[in-house]
Amino acid sequence: MRRVNLYLLAFSFLLLSQAALSQEKFTDVRQRMADDLTAVKVSLQANDRAAALEHFADAKKVWEAEVRPMITEGVKTNNQFQEYFERMAEVDGHFVSLAQELESAGSKQVESRVNAMIWAISHHPRGFKVPPPRYTVWDWVFGLGIGIGFCVFAVVFGLYLRRSFYRRYQKQGKEPSKG
Amino acid sequence: MQSDFIIIGLYLVLMFSAGLFFSRNIKNTADYFLAARSAPWFWIMGAIWATNIGFLHGYLAHGGAAYEWGLIQANFEWFQGPFGYIISGLFFIAFYWRAGVYTVPHFLERRYGSALSLIYNLAWIVIFIVTIAAEFYLGGIFLKNLLHIPFWPTVLVLAIVVGTYTLLGGLGAAIMMEFVQFIIMMLGTMPLLFILLHMVGGFAGIKNVLIGQWGVSAQYFTVLPDIHHPYGPGPWIVLGQCLVVTLGWCAGHQSMVQRNLGARSLYDAKFGYVAASIPKTLGAFLYIVPMIAAPIIFAGNGIFVERADASYGKLILNLLPSGMLGLFIAGLLSAGLSSISSVLNSTSTMVVKDIYERYLVKGRPDHHYFVAGRAATFVVIALSLLLVPIVLKVYLIMWLEQTLLAMVLGPFMGILMLAIFWRRANAAGSLVGFITGGVFAILLQQVFGVNIFFEISWWSFVVTSIVTVAVTLLTAKPRPEQLDGLTWESDFRAKLGEILEQRAVKNGMKIGDVPKPIIRRPRWYLNIKYWATAILLCQVALLLFFG
Repeated sequence: MRRVNLYLLAFSFLLLSQAALSQEKFTDVRQRMADDLTAVKVSLQANDRAAALEHFADAKKVWEAEVRPMITEGVKTNNQFQEYFERMAEVDGHFVSLAQELESAGSKQVESRVNAMIWAISHHPRGFKVPPPRYTVWDWVFGLGIGIGFCVFAVVFGLYLRRSFYRRYQKQGKEPSKG
Repeated sequence: MQSDFIIIGLYLVLMFSAGLFFSRNIKNTADYFLAARSAPWFWIMGAIWATNIGFLHGYLAHGGAAYEWGLIQANFEWFQGPFGYIISGLFFIAFYWRAGVYTVPHFLERRYGSALSLIYNLAWIVIFIVTIAAEFYLGGIFLKNLLHIPFWPTVLVLAIVVGTYTLLGGLGAAIMMEFVQFIIMMLGTMPLLFILLHMVGGFAGIKNVLIGQWGVSAQYFTVLPDIHHPYGPGPWIVLGQCLVVTLGWCAGHQSMVQRNLGARSLYDAKFGYVAASIPKTLGAFLYIVPMIAAPIIFAGNGIFVERADASYGKLILNLLPSGMLGLFIAGLLSAGLSSISSVLNSTSTMVVKDIYERYLVKGRPDHHYFVAGRAATFVVIALSLLLVPIVLKVYLIMWLEQTLLAMVLGPFMGILMLAIFWRRANAAGSLVGFITGGVFAILLQQVFGVNIFFEISWWSFVVTSIVTVAVTLLTAKPRPEQLDGLTWESDFRAKLGEILEQRAVKNGMKIGDVPKPIIRRPRWYLNIKYWATAILLCQVALLLFFG
């Protein structure tokens, strides 16, 4: 029985470390893609269009060979991949547009495109998608009940403390020591 | 980058030397554990805030949570934090201070007996060691990512610097260093806010972009959201977080309380705590508001963010010029080191005063316990460093710490409130109530799947209170020595009654004929109640403006 527990423990550690490793790898490949995209931007600012195209090809390779497959596989088991899965089409579209822009467009236009791509593979705040506030009848009952209840409790409790204090204090005052 | 390294190196050398300098007059346990009760209110103020704000509870974790969920994270700074500081400062600290105790478990022991005190003590020692390990981990990983320096040597250097001055100087050195670090934190990290607001066109500019152009949920800008919010439902923030967890944290966290117990007078202890709510409020401008603007900066400048925890580091690395970055990191290190130092000192105090002196080695000379205090500090650092590899594997450090806190703070607030306000509350009731509340918190989380930590705290508080009252009524009344000076009725005004009575006895007079003692009140600008009211009004104004 003890051995079974030990195996279970080892297995859970293995699962935990596997999950952590895959998270790390997903971070690393996206970082590499972001670095390549940044290099596209920097090369174009230095008027080195050939280097920009080279970095673009590298970024596209990382996206297609590593990041994209990780997202499509990961989303099946882990909902942390969901946000990236929803933005996959956006990234694909950016690649198509960037390929055209690299042929002719200025560095400003390319820069804003690259920035949008890096943002698309970044983690977006979950708070962005919280539904707008809504208050049901039950929420009002709960809120007012707690609020009014707390006030009533505070008043009753305050009166109790005051009474108990004066009862004790007056008792001492009425019965001074005979010393 | 080289200038940044020089600034950070200088900072660490300065901290190390200043720590050694401040520790030169420490001779006995009162010096070591209570700073000889000599700290003025402004030291207390700085030390409390620096204790509260570290890598874990502040810049990195809270900043990351602000990036993830928005302005709701500011409720710690604009709502419950100052509330907890003020209520604890005006009210709870007086009980500890007048009881002349070293630790919170010591107070519980006098009121409820040793069993509850021991359980509470052990629970906090575990939480503290995990906290120190988490702080070391976060500090090491932050510097590794930011400056590309190796993790373990960085952690060891941090441990040596903070360990040396805490080990040698005790609470006195820790408080003085925390005050210095409080100033460095404020000056070093505040410029980020102005740089950011200038870039995005002020707070209105952030709202215009996020809500107007990106269509972000309005709840990203709400301090107190509705009950359906997945991260922090408003009612649970008020009930569970504000009334239970924060009050429990401010009144029951040994590091927070110990700073007050080191004050030179009760006035300094109370005023220091109340005044600490000012930097606490400003804290939101250091690491919450900048992180609300961060998505605009990241998207507009092509900065890759892999996860929320890393967002704060990415922001400062890409935004601050060389030199200023070094100063900023020094400010962040101050936050981390001050928190580690305070928790370290508190853990050694609890280990020596509440366990070693109480149960293991009794009746030795004071010097023996003074040396034991230093040895305990060393052992706690060593244990925390051994825990770092484990913390490294735990995906959500905050979750681990909050789970432990939910198990302790709800039940603690239940028994503390009853200890002070209900003279009938006894040892048996509180012990059964505390254990039941803790077990209930675990069941809520593990069996019923409640994940909102504030909600768990609230219900464990309610269950603890009910069980304590029920068991107390079925068992014997507490002894008079368990009440004297430890309940609300025996507090200041009642003490005043006793003083009058003693004078009447001494002079053979009737109590009504004894002239009332003159109570000297501080000048209006040093009146704690005026400050507390003004600060609470500022909180309301902030909530109305931002929330």
